[in-house]
Amino acid sequence: MTETETIKLSDYATAKGFCLTSAFWMMAATFMGLLGATELIAPAVTENIGGLVFGRVRPTHVNLVLFGFATPGLLAATFYFFPRVLQTRLYSEKLGVFTVIAWNIMLVCTVATLLSGNTQAREYAEMIWPVDILVVLAFALIVFNFFMTVQRRTEPLIYVSIWYACAAAVLTMLTYALGNVIWRPDGGALTGIPDAILLWFYGHNIFGLLLTPLSIGVAYYVVPKAIRAPLYSHTLSLLGFWALIVVYTHIGTHHLLQVPVPTWLKVVAIVDSIAMVIPVMAFLINIWYTARGKLGAIHADIGAKFVFTGTIMYFFVSIQGSMMALPQVQRVTHFNNWVVGHAHIGVLGFSGMIALGGLYYVLPRMTGKPLFSRFLADFQYWLILIGVVGFTVILTIAGLIQGNAWLNGETVYRVLPEIHLYYVIRAALGVLIFVSAVLGFYNIARTMFMPERGAG
Amino acid sequence: MKMTPAVIFAGSVLILAAVVAIVVVLPFYHTSQTEPSAIFRPRTAAESRGRQIYIENGCVYCHSQSVRTIDWGLGAERIARAGDYVEDRPILLGSQRTGPDLSQQGGEHPDDWHKAHFVNPRYTSPLSIMPAFEFLGEEKLDHLTAYVQSLGMKDADRRVARQEKWKQKAVEAYENGPDQNVQWLHSRVPEQWQKLPNPYGTSDAGLARGHKIYQDFCMGCHGPIGDGMGPAQPYLYPPPLNFTVLQDRGITGGILYYQIMNGITGTAMPYFKKHLESEKIWDVGNYVAVYFINQSDAGDNAGGIDAAYEP
Repeated sequence: MTETETIKLSDYATAKGFCLTSAFWMMAATFMGLLGATELIAPAVTENIGGLVFGRVRPTHVNLVLFGFATPGLLAATFYFFPRVLQTRLYSEKLGVFTVIAWNIMLVCTVATLLSGNTQAREYAEMIWPVDILVVLAFALIVFNFFMTVQRRTEPLIYVSIWYACAAAVLTMLTYALGNVIWRPDGGALTGIPDAILLWFYGHNIFGLLLTPLSIGVAYYVVPKAIRAPLYSHTLSLLGFWALIVVYTHIGTHHLLQVPVPTWLKVVAIVDSIAMVIPVMAFLINIWYTARGKLGAIHADIGAKFVFTGTIMYFFVSIQGSMMALPQVQRVTHFNNWVVGHAHIGVLGFSGMIALGGLYYVLPRMTGKPLFSRFLADFQYWLILIGVVGFTVILTIAGLIQGNAWLNGETVYRVLPEIHLYYVIRAALGVLIFVSAVLGFYNIARTMFMPERGAG
Repeated sequence: MKMTPAVIFAGSVLILAAVVAIVVVLPFYHTSQTEPSAIFRPRTAAESRGRQIYIENGCVYCHSQSVRTIDWGLGAERIARAGDYVEDRPILLGSQRTGPDLSQQGGEHPDDWHKAHFVNPRYTSPLSIMPAFEFLGEEKLDHLTAYVQSLGMKDADRRVARQEKWKQKAVEAYENGPDQNVQWLHSRVPEQWQKLPNPYGTSDAGLARGHKIYQDFCMGCHGPIGDGMGPAQPYLYPPPLNFTVLQDRGITGGILYYQIMNGITGTAMPYFKKHLESEKIWDVGNYVAVYFINQSDAGDNAGGIDAAYEP
């Protein structure tokens, strides 16, 4: 991976665009999360402001985190490493910038439609049909740009990060269209139990075929580069890649274990949820063995530090996820805050950390300037680490209280005061995450636009 | 294995296609033939509009519609079946239970309770963390209420009819004045309960517990001083009982216990037997008797053997 003149000529406009997109929408996304968390402890705080009712704030938070913060953050690093790894220029920066613009229009539409109550009410598939079309179109443009760049490569071997990025773009384009029932613009849903099965097939693949492969792709790029060492094993890369696509796609029905869906489908979902250990450990062993003995170099680079922490979070969220697919565990954990905690380790701890790590790793390299402030980035790292570990502990406790109380015959209403304290602490931790997003945006924007103060 | 663009593209798309065939298409054929269940009925136009309002406001993020075999709470009398959902597009199973499951909500309360509850959930349920929905306006709240009252379908219809039948009688009794109203209320309690005094004597600890239960469950309708003037009162008819009228009208601990346990169907008074266990019901009943009725039979001629904890 030596640099050549052609790559130096790249201006990385697309990567920079996604970088700013991610940093900006992270503020909006975490603000919505904080607002929702506040409403759960003080429901009168937005009383009778229809657009800010909890049931609209929550999907806005979730969609902005997924499509506003995490995905563009990972795409920023991906659009940076694509030309470098393939030893060519990006097929079309113009097309890339157009994608960034379309993406941001899509996000503005998402916020406007969801807060005004225009929703399909299916988790992660809330966006109405015109917005769905924008999402699919954006992914189609990314697929085109990715594959055309691969075609023009001068490096004959295709590195593992490229596999993951290409597969993520292609498969998400397809599953997004399928999961959003895009051929039925009025409502974008099937009817009855088949709708639940399709929804969770799609819903889980937002993590399985979008966030996870993009995150793994970024980790596979950043970690070996930061420590200047070759990847531990090509075989593990292959195993992890194909196993991920085979196994992850089977498991959506583990969201429906307590619902009248066919038992054989539940069995498939449970078995494959346990089998998730294979792709997860193939990747983790590969990346951790690559970094073995070189953690000093990881620690020295703020980007690599974020990314490596993300891989540790991936370990926890995956083991927890496999465990949660067991029916006996789910008797306690289903329908309560345990699952919310799990979602936060996965999306913020794993994908979010790696997205930020990718941003911080590529930012100085594509601007040719040092980071505006290494201290701020480090500070953000600790805010997020404390925040996400705190979320996990607090929401897991709250979930155990709820789940066990319900199993013991207490009504949902009775349990609300028992989890109030944990809701308060959760909102307080949310403040850390929101503050970190504001600091991150400031740091990233200063790095990009204010070169003269760059020494930080 | 050499990873070329063609291998990555074709390989991943083919795997996806195979998996979709197994976990989406096959189950689709398996489940799309589901017959409607015994309680199924189609929704009316007003109920469908209400469902749309339910969707627009994200009610699904806090309320499941999916009763499980392990559930004890609201709706647990009927475990969900695939045939319950045959017209639900989209299906609204939900993934969180910040509020109760609503599968069988229809007929649980009369319409006026829902009205008060939507205007401000804390009017009827002081511990609730649900947002207020007054901003929706009268018409939308009526549709939303119609939808909520339809949840449970034919079972809900039976419950709603029961509410309506008893509401007529409750209104009639209320309009006949306190004497006849109280007499009617007492007459709904089985005879052996009517004669039963509260078996546990009044104690400071018991009153303190009753006070807390009263604040958490009763105050929204009956008001902080038990005069029936809680914030929900303007929405409810017959209005919440002013406990003072029970004085010298044959009230017993048994009547209080039964009415709290079982509720007064047809009025906004819900049953509390799912929320509260025995001691809590005796305690809150005695709190009302001591402070608001000023007439308590707690511990009078209880008979039986004293409970082991009694001093």
